[in-house]
Amino acid sequence: MIFSLMFFDITYWMYLIVAVLYLGFWLSRNKWLGQAATVFTFIALFANFMFLVSRTVESGHAPFSNLYESMVFFTFALVAGYLFMEFKYKMKVVGAFVMPLAFLALVVTSLLPFRYQSVEPLNPALQSIWLEIHVFSTFLGYAGFALSFGLSIMYLLKSRKGASESGGGPIGIFPKSSVLDELAYKTIAWGFPFLTVGIITGGVWANYAWGTYWSWDPKETWSLITWFIYAAYLHARVTRGWRGKKAAYLSISGFIAMAFLYWGVAFVLPGLHAYA
Amino acid sequence: MGIFSKVVLKVWKFFTLLRVTIVLLISLALVSVLGTVVEQGKSAQEYISVYGEKVYYWLTVIGITDMYHTWWFTTLLSLLALNIIICTIDRFPSKWRSVSHQKTDVSLRFIDNLSNHGAIEGVKARPAEVKEKVINILKKNRYKYEVSDRGEEITVMAYKGKWARFGSDVAHVSLIIILLGSIFGGIWGFKDFQPIYVGETRAIPNTDFKIKVNKFWIDYYDSGQIKQFNSDLSVIENGKEMLRKTIYVNEPLYYKGVRFYQSSYGLAWGKVKKAQFVLVDKETKKQIGAPIFINWNEKIKVAGADDYEVKLVGFVSDFAFDEKNKVVYTNSSEHDNPAVRIELYKNGKLISKPWLFLNFPGLFPVMDDASKSDLILTNYQPIQYTGLQIGKDPGVNVVWFGSIFLGIGFILAFFMFYKRLWINIKSCSDTVDIHIGGMINKNRIIFEREFNALVDKFRDGLIE
Ligand code: HEM
Repeated sequence: MIFSLMFFDITYWMYLIVAVLYLGFWLSRNKWLGQAATVFTFIALFANFMFLVSRTVESGHAPFSNLYESMVFFTFALVAGYLFMEFKYKMKVVGAFVMPLAFLALVVTSLLPFRYQSVEPLNPALQSIWLEIHVFSTFLGYAGFALSFGLSIMYLLKSRKGASESGGGPIGIFPKSSVLDELAYKTIAWGFPFLTVGIITGGVWANYAWGTYWSWDPKETWSLITWFIYAAYLHARVTRGWRGKKAAYLSISGFIAMAFLYWGVAFVLPGLHAYA
Repeated sequence: MGIFSKVVLKVWKFFTLLRVTIVLLISLALVSVLGTVVEQGKSAQEYISVYGEKVYYWLTVIGITDMYHTWWFTTLLSLLALNIIICTIDRFPSKWRSVSHQKTDVSLRFIDNLSNHGAIEGVKARPAEVKEKVINILKKNRYKYEVSDRGEEITVMAYKGKWARFGSDVAHVSLIIILLGSIFGGIWGFKDFQPIYVGETRAIPNTDFKIKVNKFWIDYYDSGQIKQFNSDLSVIENGKEMLRKTIYVNEPLYYKGVRFYQSSYGLAWGKVKKAQFVLVDKETKKQIGAPIFINWNEKIKVAGADDYEVKLVGFVSDFAFDEKNKVVYTNSSEHDNPAVRIELYKNGKLISKPWLFLNFPGLFPVMDDASKSDLILTNYQPIQYTGLQIGKDPGVNVVWFGSIFLGIGFILAFFMFYKRLWINIKSCSDTVDIHIGGMINKNRIIFEREFNALVDKFRDGLIE
């Protein structure tokens, strides 16, 4: 029996339940739904964690060696980051915009060809401590960006003309738009340095494996594209005329670039990173 | 002001704008996409087979086939660099001044107008006592402070995380350092690839030493999958072995600034270790005697046809013939149609230099008509080569240095905050009023809570 596959299934269904609970909480404002959502998120996160542990035991290496494993690490970072935020800022509605994302991530993961699910030993290029630092850091970055994506969407909904700052309706329960904006920044301020460390350690690793730290292959280039967009976001936030909505659109574009960096490059474009 | 300095000033002003930065960053992002859609640095044939000649022509005119080295992409990057440099220089002095001369003596109105402010009124104590207590609490919370004391009214200015203000400057300088490092590498470095046969000693271009490949081998997992490629290398300088190391993927050899990476491996396509032939009767096609083994470049008598000698002189792994130039070449590095070339001697005289095909034995007769027998190629022992990526990059350490510096900049910019508090202590008949205001350079939401907690601490500390 392969435990990691079992934990994958548990995590998958748990995230579906959690997503439904948070959405239910958002639309009904029922306090008990909100409590249940948080409790179930802890259970889901534990199952997610157990996947990572069992996978490590089964394969003998950190669970980052292909798209399947790294996606589950991504959802772990995303949900852990979310829970941290929920406790720190006491706001549950954000979960309605984050948990569906975590579930969706596992849906696409489960659609991967079966060979991804099997436990593989590392090929020579992947046997490096830099690989582990590289993937770990990059995926923490991705998690930050995904959180920011959810927050930016909420910000745009909230700051539409006519949307009330507080009070009734599904939008009314959102935090204030200035708070959403600040948190979207805060999550990018976490994601950006981690993505940067990811890019740099990727360079260090490539320099050991191939003798060049930068070769403009599609994966590298897309990481730079994503990085440029978030750099633009950071500067937009301190520029009059670029604050608020425009910055939020940049955050969303950054997330789309990141999704392409993650999936598009592996399946649409050719290149060295074809395995991960 | 001369027209020249006017223009310079205009350009300078233009590049201090953050709006320009945003536009440049977005343009670079958009343009970079192109180079990932069109594969970079392929051969003309490959492009033509995908896009056709017309489109290929335009791709080369714009330079998309090697986009990241075109003049216009480089220009965009240079503009960004210029933007970073000018922007940082332009803002630095005033930022430095504002941090080194912090406003201490502010008015009560200023404090009450800050977005974070609070007051504790009617404390039964003297201003000097209150000041001591305030300072103690500030110290406990690791604030630095300055006091402006006018007896009846005391203002304490407290701050921490001053350096956080310079996070963005450190980050910007680091980016320039990284860019410079990559330029150094481009100017003073080189890259090369050498397939070297096992056992061979090869002089390395651009250096004054040679590399000898002692051994190449592959490690496997129990499941049969490849675990590692290894090459046992020696550095030979002036005929002496200076260094010996086994390299593998992710573990290069380093000597005199040059690195050798395990990059590929395979069977040599232009040389073999030895070849095996058999002599057959032309009529019956029956084998005569034992097989004949000939080493590379070796000449031996053909047993069973004593007038003849054979020397092994050529090999191609995938035979092809160029009709126009009448030359033989190998189509690929695969061993798809291997052929060896021999020199045939009769009574010591060279009479022909035929090719023999492993897949088509006896396609062309090798021996002359006088002979009753013929030679057939039956096997060969290939030579393994190890593919070494060779590189020298004197800029790489500059890049790593810049990267570490960038990390420091990010820590300052994203994880540290410049916090300031102003505390006005003013006596009011026999009690003292305290007004506290606070400011942070960003991260306002978090600070709000921290500030309120701090005000509570003051309150607890002062009203015991
Ligand atoms: C790829 C290029 C760039 C990167 C990665 C970068 C990075 C950064 C970072 C990390 C920050 C701190 C942001 C924060 O704390 O929220 C920042 C702030 C800033 N950057 Fe850049 N930067 C780049 C280009 C530029 C350029 C070209 C300019 C010049 C116009 C510029 C001007 C600024 C300014 C004015 C700030 C705010 C400074 C402050 O408030 O202390 N940056 N940049």
